[in-house]
Amino acid sequence: MTDERRRSPFSAFIGTEMEELREGYARVSLTLEPRHTNPNGVMHGGVITTMMDSALGAALGALRGEAARRDPHATVEMNASFLSGARPGDRIVVEGRVIRMGKTIAFGEAEARRADRSADPRPNGDTLIAKGRLTFAIRKRGE
Amino acid sequence: MAMVEREAVERPASPFVELIGGRMEEWREGYVRMSLTLEPHHTNPNGVMHGGVVTTLMDEALGGVIASVRGLETMFAAPHATVEMNASFLAGARPGDRIEVEARVLRLGRRVAFGEAEARRDDGELIAKGRMTFVILEGGAA
Repeated sequence: MTDERRRSPFSAFIGTEMEELREGYARVSLTLEPRHTNPNGVMHGGVITTMMDSALGAALGALRGEAARRDPHATVEMNASFLSGARPGDRIVVEGRVIRMGKTIAFGEAEARRADRSADPRPNGDTLIAKGRLTFAIRKRGE
Repeated sequence: MAMVEREAVERPASPFVELIGGRMEEWREGYVRMSLTLEPHHTNPNGVMHGGVVTTLMDEALGGVIASVRGLETMFAAPHATVEMNASFLAGARPGDRIEVEARVLRLGRRVAFGEAEARRDDGELIAKGRMTFVILEGGAA
Protein backbone atom coordinates (compact mmCIF):
# COMPACT_ATOMS: atom_id res chain seq x y z
CA MET A 1 0.00 0.00 0.00
CA THR A 2 1.40 3.41 -0.91
CA ASP A 3 1.81 6.25 1.58
CA GLU A 4 -0.86 8.16 -0.29
CA ARG A 5 -3.35 5.40 0.38
CA ARG A 6 -2.37 5.39 4.06
CA ARG A 7 -3.46 9.01 4.39
CA SER A 8 -6.30 9.65 6.75
CA PRO A 9 -9.47 10.72 4.91
CA PHE A 10 -10.56 12.80 7.92
CA SER A 11 -7.26 14.70 8.07
CA ALA A 12 -7.43 15.37 4.34
CA PHE A 13 -11.04 16.54 4.77
CA ILE A 14 -10.14 19.15 7.38
CA GLY A 15 -7.07 20.24 5.38
CA THR A 16 -3.99 19.07 7.29
CA GLU A 17 -0.69 18.43 5.47
CA MET A 18 1.81 15.73 6.35
CA GLU A 19 5.13 17.57 6.29
CA GLU A 20 7.48 14.91 7.57
CA LEU A 21 7.05 11.25 8.37
CA ARG A 22 9.72 8.88 9.57
CA GLU A 23 9.99 5.99 12.01
CA GLY A 24 8.40 7.14 15.26
CA TYR A 25 8.03 10.78 14.23
CA ALA A 26 5.51 12.79 12.24
CA ARG A 27 4.91 16.48 11.67
CA VAL A 28 1.59 17.78 10.34
CA SER A 29 0.52 21.34 9.65
CA LEU A 30 -2.59 23.38 8.99
CA THR A 31 -3.26 27.03 8.27
CA LEU A 32 -6.41 27.91 10.18
CA GLU A 33 -9.45 29.09 8.26
CA PRO A 34 -12.81 30.36 9.53
CA ARG A 35 -14.25 26.85 9.07
CA HIS A 36 -11.91 25.56 11.82
CA THR A 37 -13.36 27.77 14.57
CA ASN A 38 -15.78 27.58 17.49
CA PRO A 39 -18.56 30.12 18.20
CA ASN A 40 -15.98 32.52 19.66
CA GLY A 41 -14.19 32.72 16.32
CA VAL A 42 -11.05 30.97 17.57
CA MET A 43 -9.70 27.50 16.79
CA HIS A 44 -11.96 24.60 17.81
CA GLY A 45 -10.23 22.21 20.21
CA GLY A 46 -11.20 19.31 17.94
CA VAL A 47 -8.80 20.56 15.28
CA ILE A 48 -5.83 20.04 17.59
CA THR A 49 -6.98 16.68 18.96
CA THR A 50 -7.49 15.50 15.37
CA MET A 51 -4.00 16.63 14.36
CA MET A 52 -2.42 15.02 17.43
CA ASP A 53 -4.21 11.74 16.83
CA SER A 54 -3.20 11.78 13.15
CA ALA A 55 0.42 12.67 13.79
CA LEU A 56 0.93 9.96 16.39
CA GLY A 57 -1.04 7.34 14.50
CA ALA A 58 1.19 7.99 11.47
CA ALA A 59 4.43 8.13 13.48
CA LEU A 60 3.60 4.76 15.00
CA GLY A 61 2.58 3.42 11.59
CA ALA A 62 5.94 4.47 10.15
CA LEU A 63 7.73 2.76 13.01
CA ARG A 64 5.73 -0.48 12.76
CA GLY A 65 5.88 -0.67 8.97
CA GLU A 66 4.20 -3.74 7.42
CA ALA A 67 3.01 -4.91 10.83
CA ALA A 68 0.74 -1.84 11.06
CA ARG A 69 -1.17 -2.94 7.96
CA ARG A 70 -1.56 -6.49 9.25
CA ASP A 71 -2.47 -5.61 12.86
CA PRO A 72 -3.71 -2.00 12.98
CA HIS A 73 -3.24 0.15 16.06
CA ALA A 74 -6.03 2.24 17.55
CA THR A 75 -6.02 5.15 19.99
CA VAL A 76 -7.34 4.09 23.40
CA GLU A 77 -6.47 7.14 25.52
CA MET A 78 -5.79 10.78 24.83
CA ASN A 79 -4.97 13.51 27.32
CA ALA A 80 -4.58 17.02 25.97
CA SER A 81 -3.79 20.35 27.61
CA PHE A 82 -4.75 23.47 25.70
CA LEU A 83 -2.24 26.13 26.66
CA SER A 84 -3.04 28.93 24.25
CA GLY A 85 -5.44 29.70 21.43
CA ALA A 86 -5.16 30.32 17.71
CA ARG A 87 -7.27 32.07 15.12
CA PRO A 88 -7.83 32.07 11.36
CA GLY A 89 -4.62 32.90 9.51
CA ASP A 90 -2.44 31.20 12.13
CA ARG A 91 -0.26 28.33 10.97
CA ILE A 92 -0.34 25.33 13.31
CA VAL A 93 2.34 22.64 13.39
CA VAL A 94 1.88 19.42 15.38
CA GLU A 95 4.75 17.02 16.05
CA GLY A 96 4.08 13.49 17.24
CA ARG A 97 6.73 11.23 18.77
CA VAL A 98 6.45 7.61 19.85
CA ILE A 99 7.97 7.34 23.32
CA ARG A 100 7.61 3.60 23.81
CA MET A 101 6.36 0.73 21.75
CA GLY A 102 5.52 -2.61 23.30
CA LYS A 103 3.93 -5.69 21.78
CA THR A 104 0.35 -4.78 22.55
CA ILE A 105 0.53 -1.13 23.55
CA ALA A 106 2.37 2.00 22.44
CA PHE A 107 2.76 5.44 23.99
CA GLY A 108 3.35 8.76 22.33
CA GLU A 109 3.34 12.46 22.91
CA ALA A 110 2.40 15.39 20.72
CA GLU A 111 3.11 19.11 20.76
CA ALA A 112 1.23 21.78 18.85
CA ARG A 113 2.79 25.12 18.07
CA ARG A 114 1.47 28.31 16.53
CA ALA A 115 3.85 30.15 14.20
CA ASP A 116 4.59 33.82 14.86
CA ARG A 117 1.90 36.05 13.47
CA SER A 118 3.08 38.28 10.63
CA ALA A 119 1.71 41.27 12.57
CA ASP A 120 3.80 40.47 15.67
CA PRO A 121 6.09 43.44 16.19
CA ARG A 122 8.82 41.28 17.67
CA PRO A 123 8.67 37.65 16.57
CA ASN A 124 9.96 35.49 19.40
CA GLY A 125 9.58 32.00 18.02
CA ASP A 126 6.68 29.64 17.84
CA THR A 127 4.23 29.47 20.72
CA LEU A 128 3.41 26.09 22.30
CA ILE A 129 -0.40 25.94 22.21
CA ALA A 130 -1.17 22.35 23.20
CA LYS A 131 0.43 19.19 24.56
CA GLY A 132 -0.97 15.71 24.34
CA ARG A 133 -0.27 12.19 25.49
CA LEU A 134 -1.75 9.28 23.60
CA THR A 135 -1.88 5.55 24.17
CA PHE A 136 -2.49 3.07 21.37
CA ALA A 137 -3.52 -0.56 21.48
CA ILE A 138 -2.06 -2.88 18.88
CA ARG A 139 -4.71 -5.31 17.73
CA LYS A 140 -3.64 -8.78 16.78
CA ARG A 141 -5.45 -10.22 13.81
CA GLY A 142 -8.33 -12.41 14.83
CA GLU A 143 -8.86 -10.71 18.18
CA MET B 1 -39.32 29.46 31.31
CA ALA B 2 -35.56 29.64 31.26
CA MET B 3 -35.44 27.59 28.08
CA VAL B 4 -37.60 30.07 26.21
CA GLU B 5 -35.41 32.97 27.28
CA ARG B 6 -32.32 31.08 26.17
CA GLU B 7 -33.87 30.36 22.78
CA ALA B 8 -34.26 34.09 22.23
CA VAL B 9 -30.48 34.46 21.94
CA GLU B 10 -29.16 32.58 18.95
CA ARG B 11 -27.69 29.29 20.03
CA PRO B 12 -24.09 29.09 18.89
CA ALA B 13 -22.83 26.36 16.57
CA SER B 14 -19.19 25.93 15.68
CA PRO B 15 -18.22 26.32 12.04
CA PHE B 16 -15.86 23.37 12.55
CA VAL B 17 -18.66 21.11 13.79
CA GLU B 18 -20.90 22.19 10.90
CA LEU B 19 -18.03 21.37 8.55
CA ILE B 20 -17.75 17.80 9.82
CA GLY B 21 -21.52 17.28 9.96
CA GLY B 22 -22.26 17.22 13.70
CA ARG B 23 -25.90 17.94 14.60
CA MET B 24 -27.37 19.36 17.77
CA GLU B 25 -30.20 17.01 18.78
CA GLU B 26 -31.10 18.35 22.21
CA TRP B 27 -30.03 21.47 24.05
CA ARG B 28 -31.42 22.36 27.45
CA GLU B 29 -30.03 23.74 30.66
CA GLY B 30 -27.41 21.27 31.91
CA TYR B 31 -27.76 18.70 29.11
CA VAL B 32 -26.71 18.53 25.46
CA ARG B 33 -27.00 15.68 22.98
CA MET B 34 -25.37 15.71 19.54
CA SER B 35 -25.23 13.22 16.68
CA LEU B 36 -23.24 12.45 13.57
CA THR B 37 -23.66 9.77 10.93
CA LEU B 38 -20.24 8.51 9.92
CA GLU B 39 -19.20 8.81 6.30
CA PRO B 40 -16.02 7.67 4.56
CA HIS B 41 -14.42 11.10 5.06
CA HIS B 42 -14.61 10.65 8.85
CA THR B 43 -12.18 7.73 8.84
CA ASN B 44 -8.52 7.08 9.52
CA PRO B 45 -6.26 5.01 7.23
CA ASN B 46 -7.78 1.80 8.66
CA GLY B 47 -11.22 2.75 7.37
CA VAL B 48 -12.73 3.26 10.83
CA MET B 49 -13.75 6.43 12.67
CA HIS B 50 -10.91 8.91 13.25
CA GLY B 51 -10.48 9.71 16.96
CA GLY B 52 -10.67 13.40 16.13
CA VAL B 53 -14.33 13.06 15.18
CA VAL B 54 -15.42 11.97 18.64
CA THR B 55 -13.11 14.39 20.51
CA THR B 56 -14.50 17.23 18.40
CA LEU B 57 -18.09 16.26 19.25
CA MET B 58 -17.29 15.86 22.95
CA ASP B 59 -15.60 19.27 23.05
CA GLU B 60 -18.54 20.85 21.24
CA ALA B 61 -21.21 19.16 23.37
CA LEU B 62 -19.43 20.10 26.60
CA GLY B 63 -18.79 23.68 25.49
CA GLY B 64 -22.49 23.82 24.61
CA VAL B 65 -23.74 22.38 27.87
CA ILE B 66 -21.64 24.83 29.88
CA ALA B 67 -23.09 27.63 27.73
CA SER B 68 -26.59 26.33 28.50
CA VAL B 69 -25.95 26.69 32.23
CA ARG B 70 -24.06 29.98 32.07
CA GLY B 71 -26.48 31.59 29.61
CA LEU B 72 -25.53 32.74 26.14
CA GLU B 73 -25.17 36.43 26.93
CA THR B 74 -22.84 35.67 29.83
CA MET B 75 -20.88 33.29 27.61
CA PHE B 76 -20.35 35.81 24.84
CA ALA B 77 -19.23 38.44 27.38
CA ALA B 78 -16.73 36.04 28.99
CA PRO B 79 -16.21 32.95 26.79
CA HIS B 80 -15.11 29.62 28.20
CA ALA B 81 -12.32 27.65 26.58
CA THR B 82 -11.22 24.02 26.92
CA VAL B 83 -7.99 23.68 28.88
CA GLU B 84 -7.90 19.93 29.52
CA MET B 85 -9.39 16.92 27.82
CA ASN B 86 -9.06 13.27 28.78
CA ALA B 87 -10.69 10.78 26.47
CA SER B 88 -10.88 7.00 26.53
CA PHE B 89 -11.71 5.27 23.27
CA LEU B 90 -13.55 2.10 24.22
CA ALA B 91 -14.81 0.80 20.89
CA GLY B 92 -14.68 1.76 17.23
CA ALA B 93 -17.26 2.83 14.69
CA ARG B 94 -17.42 2.75 10.91
CA PRO B 95 -19.11 4.53 8.02
CA GLY B 96 -22.87 4.09 8.23
CA ASP B 97 -22.86 4.06 12.05
CA ARG B 98 -24.67 6.91 13.75
CA ILE B 99 -22.98 8.15 16.90
CA GLU B 100 -24.50 10.19 19.69
CA VAL B 101 -22.64 12.26 22.27
CA GLU B 102 -24.23 13.32 25.55
CA ALA B 103 -22.63 15.94 27.79
CA ARG B 104 -23.25 16.98 31.39
CA VAL B 105 -21.81 19.67 33.63
CA LEU B 106 -20.15 18.28 36.75
CA ARG B 107 -19.41 21.62 38.37
CA LEU B 108 -19.53 25.22 37.29
CA GLY B 109 -17.37 27.61 39.28
CA ARG B 110 -16.59 31.25 38.71
CA ARG B 111 -13.34 30.62 36.85
CA VAL B 112 -13.37 26.92 36.03
CA ALA B 113 -16.01 24.47 34.82
CA PHE B 114 -15.89 20.67 34.69
CA GLY B 115 -17.89 18.34 32.52
CA GLU B 116 -18.11 14.82 31.15
CA ALA B 117 -19.25 13.34 27.87
CA GLU B 118 -20.20 9.90 26.58
CA ALA B 119 -20.30 8.75 22.98
CA ARG B 120 -22.44 5.80 21.89
CA ARG B 121 -22.97 3.95 18.66
CA ASP B 122 -26.58 3.54 17.50
CA ASP B 123 -26.56 -0.10 18.68
CA GLY B 124 -26.05 1.26 22.22
CA GLU B 125 -22.34 0.40 22.55
CA LEU B 126 -20.39 2.97 24.60
CA ILE B 127 -17.52 3.98 22.30
CA ALA B 128 -15.84 6.85 24.17
CA LYS B 129 -15.84 8.70 27.47
CA GLY B 130 -14.38 12.11 28.04
CA ARG B 131 -13.69 14.48 30.92
CA MET B 132 -12.97 18.10 30.22
CA THR B 133 -12.04 21.21 32.11
CA PHE B 134 -12.88 24.67 30.88
CA VAL B 135 -11.59 28.03 32.00
CA ILE B 136 -13.84 31.06 31.94
CA LEU B 137 -11.97 33.87 30.22
CA GLU B 138 -12.41 37.44 31.24
CA GLY B 139 -12.50 40.17 28.67
CA GLY B 140 -13.11 38.10 25.55
CA ALA B 141 -11.58 35.24 23.61
CA ALA B 142 -7.84 34.81 23.09
